Amino acid sequence: MADAAPGGSGTRSGSKHTTTPADNYYLARRRTLQVVVSSLLTEAGFESAEKAAVETLTEMLQSYISEIGRSAKSYCEHTARTQPTLSDIVVTLVEMGFNVETLPAYAKRSQRMVITAPPVTNQPVTPKALTAGQNKPHPSHIPGYFPEFPDPHTYIKTPTYREPVSDYQVLREKAASQRRDVERALTRFMAKTGETQSLFKDDVSTFPLIAARPFTVPYLTALLPSELEMQQMEETDSSEQDDQTDTENLPLHMSTDDSGPEKENASVLQQNTSLSGSRNGEENMIDNPYLRPVKKPKIRRKK
Amino acid sequence: MNRKKGDKGFESPRPYKLTHQVVCINNINFQRKSVVGYVELTIFPTVANLNRIKLNSKQCRIYRVRVNDLEAAFIYNDPTLEVCHHESKQRNLNYFSNAYAAAVSAVDPDAGNGELCIKVPSELWKHVDELKVLKVHINFSLDQPKGGLHFVVPNMEGSMAERGAHVFSCGYQNSTRFWFPCVDSYSELCTWKLEYTVDAAMVAVSNGDLVETVYTHDMRKKTFHYMLAIPTAASNISLAIGPFEILVDPYMHEVTHFCLPQLLPLLKHTTSYLHEVFEFYEEILTCRYPYSCFKTVFIDEAYVEVAAYASMSIFSTNLLHSAMIIDETPLTRRCLAQALAQQFFGCFISRMSWSDEWVLKGISGYIYGLWMKKTFGVNEYRHWIKQELDQIVAYELKTGGVLLHPIFGGGKEKDNPASHLHFSIKHPHTLSWEYYTMFQCKAHLVMRLIENRISMEFMLQVFNKLLSLASTASSQKFQSHMWSQMLVSTSGFLKSISNVSGKDIQPLIKQWVDQSGVVKFYGSFAFNRKRNVLELEIKQDYTSPGTQKYVGPLKVTVQELDGSFNHTLQIEENSLKHDIPCHSKSRRNKKKKIPLMNGEEVDMDLSAMDADSPLLWIRIDPDMSVLRKVEFEQSDFMWQYQLRYERDVVAQEEAILALEKFPTPASRLALTDILEQEQCFYRVRMLACFCLAKIANSMVSTWTGPPAMKSLFTRMFCCKTCPNIVKTNNFMNFQSYFLQKTMPVAMALLRDVHNLCPKEVLMFILDLIKYNDNRKNKFSDNYYRAELIDALANSVTPAVSVNNEVRTLDNLNPDVRLILEEITRFLNMEKLLPSYRHTITVSCLKAIRVLQKNGHVPSDPALFKSYAEYGHFVDVRIAALEAVVDYTKVDRSYEELQWLLTMVQNDPVPYIRHKILDMLTKNPPFTKNMESPLCNEALVDQLWKLMNSGTSHDWRLRCGAVDLYFTLFGLSRPSCLPLPELGLVLNLKEKKAVLNPTIIPESVANNQEPVNAANNHGQPVVFQNTFSNSQEEEEIDMDTVHDSQAFIYHHLNMLERPSTPGKEQSSGEVTMHAVSAAPLSVFSKESNSSKHSDHHHHHHHEHKKKKKKHKHKHKHKHKHDSKEKEKDPFAFSNSPASARSIRSPSLSD
Repeated sequence: MADAAPGGSGTRSGSKHTTTPADNYYLARRRTLQVVVSSLLTEAGFESAEKAAVETLTEMLQSYISEIGRSAKSYCEHTARTQPTLSDIVVTLVEMGFNVETLPAYAKRSQRMVITAPPVTNQPVTPKALTAGQNKPHPSHIPGYFPEFPDPHTYIKTPTYREPVSDYQVLREKAASQRRDVERALTRFMAKTGETQSLFKDDVSTFPLIAARPFTVPYLTALLPSELEMQQMEETDSSEQDDQTDTENLPLHMSTDDSGPEKENASVLQQNTSLSGSRNGEENMIDNPYLRPVKKPKIRRKK
Repeated sequence: MNRKKGDKGFESPRPYKLTHQVVCINNINFQRKSVVGYVELTIFPTVANLNRIKLNSKQCRIYRVRVNDLEAAFIYNDPTLEVCHHESKQRNLNYFSNAYAAAVSAVDPDAGNGELCIKVPSELWKHVDELKVLKVHINFSLDQPKGGLHFVVPNMEGSMAERGAHVFSCGYQNSTRFWFPCVDSYSELCTWKLEYTVDAAMVAVSNGDLVETVYTHDMRKKTFHYMLAIPTAASNISLAIGPFEILVDPYMHEVTHFCLPQLLPLLKHTTSYLHEVFEFYEEILTCRYPYSCFKTVFIDEAYVEVAAYASMSIFSTNLLHSAMIIDETPLTRRCLAQALAQQFFGCFISRMSWSDEWVLKGISGYIYGLWMKKTFGVNEYRHWIKQELDQIVAYELKTGGVLLHPIFGGGKEKDNPASHLHFSIKHPHTLSWEYYTMFQCKAHLVMRLIENRISMEFMLQVFNKLLSLASTASSQKFQSHMWSQMLVSTSGFLKSISNVSGKDIQPLIKQWVDQSGVVKFYGSFAFNRKRNVLELEIKQDYTSPGTQKYVGPLKVTVQELDGSFNHTLQIEENSLKHDIPCHSKSRRNKKKKIPLMNGEEVDMDLSAMDADSPLLWIRIDPDMSVLRKVEFEQSDFMWQYQLRYERDVVAQEEAILALEKFPTPASRLALTDILEQEQCFYRVRMLACFCLAKIANSMVSTWTGPPAMKSLFTRMFCCKTCPNIVKTNNFMNFQSYFLQKTMPVAMALLRDVHNLCPKEVLMFILDLIKYNDNRKNKFSDNYYRAELIDALANSVTPAVSVNNEVRTLDNLNPDVRLILEEITRFLNMEKLLPSYRHTITVSCLKAIRVLQKNGHVPSDPALFKSYAEYGHFVDVRIAALEAVVDYTKVDRSYEELQWLLTMVQNDPVPYIRHKILDMLTKNPPFTKNMESPLCNEALVDQLWKLMNSGTSHDWRLRCGAVDLYFTLFGLSRPSCLPLPELGLVLNLKEKKAVLNPTIIPESVANNQEPVNAANNHGQPVVFQNTFSNSQEEEEIDMDTVHDSQAFIYHHLNMLERPSTPGKEQSSGEVTMHAVSAAPLSVFSKESNSSKHSDHHHHHHHEHKKKKKKHKHKHKHKHKHDSKEKEKDPFAFSNSPASARSIRSPSLSD
């Protein structure tokens, strides 16, 4: 605060109307200091002084006092305290090269002027929003010098939602309308972004139908369970073995399809056999003509 | 003809015996959809002067024929390509059907005919005379086959294997000739060697044992070598090639399953049950599966769902399902079981002739029924029998009878045993598909009747005997005369039955097999209190079409207070009334429980019954041991008792149907009680739902309480705490699953006093949709959701329309708006999360059509047309097409009809083509007696062309076209055509004037290719000659002759230049043709005599027979045709059928 004072004072006074409480406080202190400097000058015998001179002196005084404060705080904290004691001040003054002995005499000098204390202004009001609720006092086991509790809203759990609904009917209702809304939104979106058909010639937007698009391999989408269903099946039933093996095998087989035209029967089947773990040994023994390896043409020639 | 043969074993209609055939397909090109290969038939002449070998072949382009390494001349003539040639204005179906039957006969392998006639080189005649072996080697190729072999090539990036491209054989009955030359008969057995060279990434699946797989030298392809040592008919040979995934059955290692890429998990689940079917059949037949291996292949765009061939079956890939799907599981299992039953009877055991087909279909259907009984229980079995019985009865009454064992060539009257039909039943290929379906249905029902007569034990013994005879025969090597033991005939089968059981079932056979028609009973009764006698009156209607008179025993079951009693009545010529003594007095012993048929004793509330009578209910023919329809009259309370207490599901179903006529609170209560009873068969409960809805509608003014079934549904399926919300889905209990699906559909049929669906019901269904939650369910809910949409559609009632008001969104009914909202959402969600088999899309499309039809939404086929495009799932396409068909009918749209017919001609999927015709036939845009703007000459011509030549590659499709033509125009000349009489009356002048301008442009427009164009130039000389003294029919026949000649010429041409068979003929060659034509017709008569005497006789005989038939036909013709009659014999000698026997010049020396 002290650092900011010198440069800013002039400009701040010029724009009083935009002052904040903190500024006011600062200005009041400054004014008091000016009064002190002026009275000291009067005491010293000056009739008048230039404003700039008074300002300079005020600045010096302020710096000096600030330095005392700063230093005293350091000494105090150095000894693990929070509040400076008299000795801290004394040491500070000594350190700053001030003869402490002379101080009582100077304080008791006859021609000294007494300045009335500046009127105590109200503490600047902090905004209401920040003080939600009463700050909690320290419990007895916490020493009073510890910082105060923060504002309650920063740590207290505030129940802002209603009681969770456990009513079956409402739940179903909700699930149903939610799903319906999602479906509606999704299909409307799809309809908006793609080609549509309509049942009414005059209105194409109220009941938009996503246009029918032929598939290249129509039976795949029609027969294979969708991913959603597969997932559902796994969730709902994990006890049935058949289902499981089915679903387990699906991705693996799809990968074998991609292996391209050069794939051989035998290799596909080997993959198959290796998939179905437990049956592995058994299947190797199966003598099925479709499982036999393809013969090379040489063999045929020998025959 | 066949019968007398049966006793002595099989006599081949061919002058040679086939013993072995090699089929080698060297190259299959998926891009061009072409096949190149050769066949080699090993035949033994059975007559000394065999000089021609007739084989079947269609579509194949034949490059070269060699007999014992000597080049052989051949001609190729297929009269079925175009049935009526250059036929001008003759548009009556009668004429077509006769011509078509004649055309099919002309190439029928069972009559020793074929499309391909090979001349044995003269160098070999001596060799033949010693009856030494001949090897016929034929090189052929197939380009873009339209039938027989079906290519599925998805249009996308990647190699053919990556795309999942595949090809498979298919067809209706014996259709193997479509993809390689053979004797395409079920009765010509031989051993097989099959070789297929395919891309290394592909698998070729075919009949018999896979001996080895060998790479070609470049290692890019491999050859599959199959051997089939069990003598098999060519018609049972099949092929499937594709990048299949292979699954060896974990229970039976000799069984291998194949499916298209990515579907392996489904395949595993679907086939996991198959071994049980195997075990069942082997056990009941006490016979091992006859082949050393079995293969199932699941392919896309299937012709039929199930096709059985020797040691392999081809299934539709759409039968595959995961463990989450409930509804498809029993259906697929049924298909598997059906296919397997046909392995024993149909593939391993084949038939002697077409008229023996019923035995095979009957036995396989019957053992399949036994499997159903064991697997799904007696209730399901009886329900199925009832369903099949109702179907056949309805069909026969509608069309006038299904004949299982047609006999031809016997007496005069037998000549046309099915004169009531618009097609000939002489050949499988002329049969309407619906008729054939019903034929199979009747066949197994009749087998069941035989079982009733001789007991199941004997029945199975007979089957076992047939099988063991066949397997002994099959193990005989090179003793081909023994192989005929593998063919079943009607007489052989009946003989077996009488040997095994010692019973005479001839009357039964005569009634149901040799004769068509079903029995129609009307029953009513009175109770005579004085005599304590039940006076039962049973009347028969045997005069309506499709009925026959029944004489013999008939079982009647009477439930009295003292118990249930069976009585066997003798139905005789004139006895209508039957007195049945009652056991109990009418006084009631209130303490006593009432004993039921099954021994159970139950308490009943008897207050409803008639105080004077001890009768609770009466049933006529409870065991369904007659193919009949029974209409029985008894009071409502008796039906109610029958519903509540009779334990037979068939009786319960009958009671439910009867109660529809009694809308009383008592009926309501009985139905509701059944609905709630969990022990009751679920199908009965489902049926009760619909009956309850009907009753509620009839009682609408007096109905009290909430809408029918609502509280019941709430109690069964909704939450206890909040009754308006349905429980989260749990389909573990299938019975209640089916009930849960059905009830909303039935409820939606309820109507209030204003004939609207009650708001409460609609809201209820909308809530079911809203609260439907499947997250915790082990099973998919797609069928359930689909039925909820069906329910919404059911709730729709016709819009209140202000005169011709245009349907817009603004005047949409608020309820309909809600429905539409749901449909839109469901249909859109399907695009993102498609359901199994797109059941939801299917239901949505149907519902939209309902909304259109009821005037809520503007009627517009555009949406359906887009869903009907190729590339959508087949179920979706069918649903969309059905809507278009319906639109065509309701809006009489010519444009849509044309669109449909174009699709019939061009769609890549044979099933779709067939189905469109089928749907148009079932829901025709107009019928023969109706005035319609759609009925015009162009349409007649178009349809005529379609069945005459446009569908020659697919028997089923052609028969479908015939059915449609019949439905639209009837048997005689379509009414929209200008009167033909004028042409006939004014004879010469008129004819000349009409004919020249019309016929010639028509034939050019006909797309008859160069052949006809050439023909027309060469014709006039001959033509005018005939003209001056003949009439319409004769002219046509002259045309036919010429056309055949042109055809032969065309193929001879092909012979000379094998690489360019399709090349146009230059006009310079026309003269040559005309010259060649003249001697031909002369030669055709000579050639007969040059043939072997047996054959000659045969031919002659047939000739006579046809004359008779022709005369017979004319009795049914219209007056104006009578003039033709006198010319008939002459005309007929030139008719399409006999004209086929013309030989090429190269053959004549």
